[in-house]
Amino acid sequence: MKKKIALLLVAAMTVASLAACGNKETETPATAEAQTEEAAPVEEEAASTEEEASTEEEAPAEAAVEGTVSVFYYTYGDTYISSVRSALDSAFDAAGVAYQDYDSNNSQTTQTEQIDTAIAQGTSLLVVNQVDTGSDDTTKNIIEKATAAGIPVVFFNRSVSEDVVTAYDKAVFVGTDYEMAGHMQGEMIGQYLVENYDTVDLNGDGVISYVMFKGQEGNAEADARTQYGVEDADKILKEAGKEALSFYDSNNSDKYLVDKDGAWSAAAATEYLQTAMSQYSEANNNMIELVIANNDEMAIGSVTALQNAGYNKEDGSATVIPVFGVDATDAAKDAINKGTMIGTIKQDAEGMANTIAQIAQNFMSGADKFADVDSANVVGTWRVNIPYATYTGE
Amino acid sequence: MANNNLKAKQQAFKEFSTKEKTKKITDLLLNNAMYIIIILAVIYVSIKVPAFLKLPSIVNVISLTAAKLPIALGIGGCIVLTGTDISAGRVVGLTACISASLLTTTYKVFPSMTSAPPIILVLLLVIVTGGLVGLVNGFSVAKFKLHPFIVTLSTQLIVYGIILMYLMRGTNNGQTLSGLTEEYRSLITGTLFSIPTATGSVAVPKYVLYSIILVAVMWVIWNKTTFGKNMFAVGSNEEAANVSGVNVSKTIMMVFILAGMMYAITGFLDGARIASANANTGLNYECDAIAACVIGGVSFVGGIGRISGIVVGVLLLQIIFTGLNFLAVDANMLYIIKGLIILIACAIDMRKYLVKK
Repeated sequence: MKKKIALLLVAAMTVASLAACGNKETETPATAEAQTEEAAPVEEEAASTEEEASTEEEAPAEAAVEGTVSVFYYTYGDTYISSVRSALDSAFDAAGVAYQDYDSNNSQTTQTEQIDTAIAQGTSLLVVNQVDTGSDDTTKNIIEKATAAGIPVVFFNRSVSEDVVTAYDKAVFVGTDYEMAGHMQGEMIGQYLVENYDTVDLNGDGVISYVMFKGQEGNAEADARTQYGVEDADKILKEAGKEALSFYDSNNSDKYLVDKDGAWSAAAATEYLQTAMSQYSEANNNMIELVIANNDEMAIGSVTALQNAGYNKEDGSATVIPVFGVDATDAAKDAINKGTMIGTIKQDAEGMANTIAQIAQNFMSGADKFADVDSANVVGTWRVNIPYATYTGE
Repeated sequence: MANNNLKAKQQAFKEFSTKEKTKKITDLLLNNAMYIIIILAVIYVSIKVPAFLKLPSIVNVISLTAAKLPIALGIGGCIVLTGTDISAGRVVGLTACISASLLTTTYKVFPSMTSAPPIILVLLLVIVTGGLVGLVNGFSVAKFKLHPFIVTLSTQLIVYGIILMYLMRGTNNGQTLSGLTEEYRSLITGTLFSIPTATGSVAVPKYVLYSIILVAVMWVIWNKTTFGKNMFAVGSNEEAANVSGVNVSKTIMMVFILAGMMYAITGFLDGARIASANANTGLNYECDAIAACVIGGVSFVGGIGRISGIVVGVLLLQIIFTGLNFLAVDANMLYIIKGLIILIACAIDMRKYLVKK
């Protein structure tokens, strides 16, 4: 009996491990063991999306360029990065470029080691979504490795500093003007409030009390969004002759609540807001009248807490506390279209992916690095900014 | 009778010398340190912010405690076996994602689906999923004699990989799962009963009831079943348990399977409670759960622990977090305070153990 169980288990584990390591028909070099367990799903996923494309790829590959692109994502767990990943995978597939994806799993050490492995395997281009944004040394380190191997680096999404990137002529950064998201969110909030001031001001005291959910400490984007999301809204309110926003808890000198795990998570926002609403409510005449979140995860988490407390119902039967996010994830767009959330800032995942794919091909075919890239978005010789857009429903 | 007993105790106490008296009192204080800390914390916070002791706030603390209880109840068993389980958070994530992907109105993970399956079926499915991970954990610990830390470290990674693949299925593209069915959400977060207050009413969510049921079930399992007694026997001394006829391997496997099931229930509840599930769901949940167990006197020494202790541990952590939030304490301080509490709790726990020796 025991032996049978043992056999079954071993069989199950073998099947599981086979499934994870299967589908090696992508150009994955044989040394995949070095890339830790997280890399396994990559191949699986890349392979499945590639099934149709692989036939053309194996054919003489007319336009295809030589070599393999290695793409390093800071984590597969990030919703927005997942959108970029699927868009970039299909952009490379369409262009017939061979590529390999890596999950750095939120660890700069892992990422740096993965880069070493990829260079050792003879990759011809690095596409890096750096984990540590605050560190120039990390960027320098990666660029040194690329210089030594004589291959180009395309940094994307998480910001790297200008002087480090410009020091190497084969390095570029495809990002967003990260402060823009905060500015645009602030403007959107300001305009919405000016138009709906009396509806939003539930207790009619002439001041809107708000809560701000910050995704993470020590992240430049989170800092900018936390600051400008309120500052720019205040500016517009002042021009319209209204009072500036006021943080719901006057004792909190930070004027934000931050996810303790730094994961920008929905759960953190739900729990914070639930706790806050146990003290601040319409019954006490001090209800929170506006929710600003650094990203859509936290915005959705806030909507959940509000719904549990009887607000923001989908059928429109209850008071709607305006909730604003950033990212324009599918879930947030759904919520906005259902009226349970007001607005978000769209990061253009496809635009970013297509630009990266274009630059990668330019490097590999020896063309000018910014050839066929929208010149309005090009900043100097080192970066391309993918513009943001507001999203308030269809 | 009880009165006599008390008098006898008083009499006995009086007969002690002063030195013994102080020792007895310090013992009493230290043995109940956690309760004393809870009471002091509540008093302090409610003096600073009176709203802390108002009904809405109490209901909030209770419901947050209830949400975090099942995972702690599961992990408690692993700690009693002198082990641990760091795969817990990821199992919560996986089961939350499975629940959210099936009980949905958008069908992104399974595009061919046209309606959500019955809730009870999904609940059973996730419990089986959690149980399977538990089985792999328990089997490896029992049969390969591996330390639970290593085993669950491996399964944690494996489960995370599965979550990522699962979220890439269908048309979902790794996006957050939302758009849950109304039945699912109202089954978990719907109102159990409302308490009227002067200015309206406060709703208690249904998952509080489920947590209470789970506590009762786990109490019976730990205290009234042969399995429960075997678990403590294996935890205090594996060799001795083996010699006295306890099936050690089976007991270890069952503890981990039971734990996996509890994580699955946590995931099922969390899917609806947060109403969105993604690859980050459940991240680091095991840390708080382990901390709560240790604070509640479930000892890493093995074979020691009570369900009531786990409830107190979870409640204490929640009161501290909520209290610090009410006091608008800097978020950075939270880590330091949490670390200190765990350290002190463990020190007191070890002291009790050393005294016994």
